[in-house]
Parts: sequence; structure tokens; C-alpha cells
Amino acid sequence: MKRLISAAVLFAGLVTAGESQAACGKVSISDMNWASATLMANVDAFILKNGYGCETEIVPGDTMPTGTSMVEKGEPDIAPEFWINNFKEALAKGIAEKRLNILGDALSDGGEEGFWVPDYLVAKDPSMATIEGVIKNAKLFKHPEDPEKSAFMTCPAGWGCQVTNGHLYKALNLEAAGFDLVDAGSGAALAGTIAKAYERKQPWFGYYWAPTAVLGKYKMVKVDFGVTDKEHFDKCLTKEICENPKPSMYPPSPVKTLVVQSFVDREPDGAAYLAKRSYSNALMNGQLAWVEDNQADGETAAVHFLNTHPEIWKAWVPADIAVKITESLTKM
Amino acid sequence: MALKDIRLDMVDSFWLTKFPSMERADLVALRKAMDGGFREFSRSYGDAIEGFFDPLLYFLVWFEKLLLNAPWIVVLAVLVGLTYAASRSWKLSGLVLGSFLLIGYFGMWADTMRTLGIITVATFLSLGVGIPVGITMARSDRVQSTVTPVLDIMQTMPAFVYLIPVVMLLGIGKVPGIIAVVIYAIPPVIRLTNLGIRMVDREVLEAATAFGANKAQRLWNVQLPLAMPNIMAGINQTIMMALAMVVIASMIGVKGLGQPVLKSITNQYFTLGLLNGLAIVAIAIMFDRVSQAYAKRSQKYLGGMHGD
Repeated sequence: MKRLISAAVLFAGLVTAGESQAACGKVSISDMNWASATLMANVDAFILKNGYGCETEIVPGDTMPTGTSMVEKGEPDIAPEFWINNFKEALAKGIAEKRLNILGDALSDGGEEGFWVPDYLVAKDPSMATIEGVIKNAKLFKHPEDPEKSAFMTCPAGWGCQVTNGHLYKALNLEAAGFDLVDAGSGAALAGTIAKAYERKQPWFGYYWAPTAVLGKYKMVKVDFGVTDKEHFDKCLTKEICENPKPSMYPPSPVKTLVVQSFVDREPDGAAYLAKRSYSNALMNGQLAWVEDNQADGETAAVHFLNTHPEIWKAWVPADIAVKITESLTKM
Repeated sequence: MALKDIRLDMVDSFWLTKFPSMERADLVALRKAMDGGFREFSRSYGDAIEGFFDPLLYFLVWFEKLLLNAPWIVVLAVLVGLTYAASRSWKLSGLVLGSFLLIGYFGMWADTMRTLGIITVATFLSLGVGIPVGITMARSDRVQSTVTPVLDIMQTMPAFVYLIPVVMLLGIGKVPGIIAVVIYAIPPVIRLTNLGIRMVDREVLEAATAFGANKAQRLWNVQLPLAMPNIMAGINQTIMMALAMVVIASMIGVKGLGQPVLKSITNQYFTLGLLNGLAIVAIAIMFDRVSQAYAKRSQKYLGGMHGD
């Protein structure tokens, strides 16, 4: 009898110990305001909630405010897709002070940035795929306000890439070619100018990045400068002060999964999942094209991804968690 | 177990607990059809609409270049001169001079000139359209009942909802910016012109009619002067709301004080943000005080037509 009781106590102890390890508390996930980050946030929320039993909450965010809040306030816990080049200095400080932790690549190929022109321009004149061709045809790219100038659409004020584009503008002698740096004012307006040009088959030349819903929907060609000098790019072109800018294409931009340190301490299992979780650009472009075609919201997009690509996400989680997630998916 | 499942299923699909909403697929089809319709519209008529607004664009560019290229002393002299001419107050003129000297000293002269240019044009456009609409509204209850809900929509619809479609139609820059500013800033002057005219005493109008005044004379010589205090309050509100839109307009590429505000906030340069914000406030106060002082003087000149 005594042995039975002690066995029961031991068993109960094991169960509670097991439970306390598996139980996961509240986790807040930042939903950045672009399509791929929304998809990632919803996939993470679904997996952490149904696989790991976390109480997930999705909060809206953007690179600067979310990054700052994570450094200063330790909230939200997870930024699923973080373009770290846009937040370099504060991020280095946050990692040095052990407040932030980079878990892994959100996009395994890295983000693709660069200067783009619509594919119909290149189809008409293949030289448009190079910077020389664009400069030669500068007159085509009409400035929205000044008929004497040509427009190069740069990043909105305050984005990291605005600095780089300013240096490249000098390095590529775009000013001499008649180009003016045009600031669309916001990411939405920049996308709006692409949509406007594309719908009317007008010329467009400017900065954009992939994978995005915009480049998934409107086929664009990245303009070739002929050189990629990663060292010069990192040491000079991305810095506020760059005395002698030289042309270089954008090297692949590191896109990471960023979490606050307290999340790693609290939920090691969830952190292990996030460290493995990574999307290729081809996969993401395909998903975004589906989202765009169906005007799907984040949750629908996440369920669609989990249903159509089990072979990919099953590699991110242990087998028992995968079973739980599959069960939840069949219940949807 | 099986029974519980069935009951849960029933609860799940019971129409009282779950709002009987449109099928997702139908909703998506509807949204896609409407978006497609808008794209089609912008493709076929966009260039024509852009062409329609070209004269306004040329005027705006010309005005901005005038303000930017004129020597700053001349611009300052004109501003202070206009202030004095409107208000006849040395104190107010001194205040305007001081604040613009500070703006220049802190390196915000060019951006302030850009904002001044666009706000001046937006204000005159709002008044030019708003006051006649207000008068028409005051004369007809039917017009009033159709225009009022439109004004409600204009004031409450979040600007971004129409900002980006306007970008698809007209591109970025001054013209879409000024359209957004006017949409947001025009309702107060319309509302208060309408209200002011409607508040004019019936008996005063009857007296005017008895003296043989026709419709136009009643409007110009009786109703408008008596409604002036209200109209001026509307103009004042319109100016203030136009300036409040400067930052929103900069999100579709309007240059001026809004851009450094956006930039400094994303980079967390709070002082720079504050300085540019204060420059917007300085312009607002100048517009407000000058227009109010002018209104007060012109109403004094009208004499004892209203009690005070």
C-alpha cells in the first residue's frame, strides 16, 4: 500500500513536472505591416498555440517601433521577420546588453533589395536591365512634378535604405543623367506608384525589395550595376557618412527572427522551433501570390500554408508537436 | 463523447451564436471585383484626370519656386507687411517676424516655404469651393440634407483609405496631396457658412425685403455680413485642419515640414521632430491671428449692423 502511494506521488510529481515543462505562457508576436511578415506571424502563432500550448497574441508593428519596444520594454516577444540592416545600431546595443536574441534566418536566401524596372520595359528594350540602359533612357522616367527631370523613386524618409540610395545616386552619377531622388513618403505610396505605372504600362525606376506581394504581383526586373562589393557596401554605403561612394548592387540582406532574451529563457522549446523555422524566397513568393490572388487575411494564409506544405513545417518541430498541429488543422 | 461533439457542432453552426456572415469566397469575389473595377477605371481615365489637374500642378510648382527662389528678406518683408496690413498690430507683426527668423535660424526655411505654399493654395481652394457650397446649403433644406452626410464622411474617413487610391489615379506629389488636404479641411467652412446664414434673424430679412432688397442684395448686404463671425470661425478651423494634414500629406510625397517630422519620428530624433512641429504651429498661429484680426477690423467697419 505504501509503495503504491509513493508510486502514485512519484507519478503525480512526474506528471506535474512534465506539465510545467510543456505549459507555455503568454507569447506576443509582432505582425509587421507587410505580407510576408504577416504570414510568418500567423504561422508562428498557430504552431505555438496548437503545438506548444502557448497563449499567443498578435500585435501590430513595424520595424522601428517594434524593434525599439523590444529593446526598451521587452515587448513583444517575437518579431518573426526582421530586416536587421534597417535597425543596425540599436540592434547591436540590444544584443550586447542581452536584451535581444537573433534565433535564425527568417528568409533563408536573405531579402532581395535593389533598383527595379517593370518587365515590359525590358521586353521592349533588353538594355533596360542594366544601369547604362536606364541612364541612356532617363527621359522616359517622368518626374511627377518637374517636366525637366527624371524620377528615381527612393525609400521613404527615415528608412535605412534612403541613406544607401542617396550614396548610390551619387556613385552612379544619376544626377548628371537628369534623375532626381523622389520620396514617395511612405511604403504604401511607393507601392502605389508601382501599381499606377504597371496598370498603365508606364516606365518606372526605383528601389523595392522582395519577397513582397507587390513584386509577386507586378513582375519587375532588377537593374544590373555589374558589381557587388559587399565590403564597400557594409562599410560605406550603409553608413550615414560615406565620402567616396562606389557603385555596388545590394548584397542579399539578412532577414532574421528576432526575439527578446526573456522569451528564450522562458520558452526554450518555442525558441528551438523559431531557430529552425525559415522560408526560401521561392516558397514565400508562391505563398504571397496566393495571398494576393485570394485577398486572404493572415490566419487564412497561415492555414493554407500549413495545409499545403506539411513537409516543410514538419521539419521545424518535433514529431509529437507535429501530430498536435495536424490534429488542429483537421479540426479547422 | 460522441454526444458532446454533436452538441458542440450544433452550437458552432447555430445562427444566433455566430453572426450569419457572407461566405468568405463571395466576399473575396466582391472585393476583387470592386478592386478590379477601380483598376480598370484608373487605367482608362487616369491620364485624363491627371491632365485635368495639370494647370493646378503648374501653378503649385510655380508658387513654390517663387517662394523658394525669392531672397528670404523679400519673403519675410512681404509676410510681415501682409500681417500688418491685415491686423494693423505692431505686436503681431513683430511676433511673425520673430518666429520666421527663428525658423530660418534653425534651418527650416526651405521646408517652411514649401508648406506655406501648399497650405496657402489649399486654404484658398477650400474657401473658394466651401463658401459657395455653404451658401447653397443654407438656401435649400434638400441640399443641406444631402451635403451633411457627405461632410461627415469627409471628416471621419481615415485619410489613408482614400490616399493610396488617389496615388494610383494621380501619382504622388502636390496634386494628390492638396486633394487630400482639401477633403479633410473643407467641412468646417461649409458647415459654419451654412449655420451662420441660417442663424440670421427672419425679421431682419423681412425688413430688408420690405425696403425692396432683391435676393442678391439680401445675400450680399444682409446675410453674409451678419453671418461673418460664424464664417470666420469656419475659415479659422479650415486653416487649422489643413495644417494638421501636412504630415499625412507628406506620406504621399508632399515636400515640406511633414517630411522631416516623419523622418525624425522613424529615426527617433525627437528634438528635430519637435522643431518641425513647432514650425507648423508657428504658421498656424500666424494664419489664425492674421485672419481673426482682419475679420474683427472689417466687422468693426461694418458698424452697428449687429448688436455689439
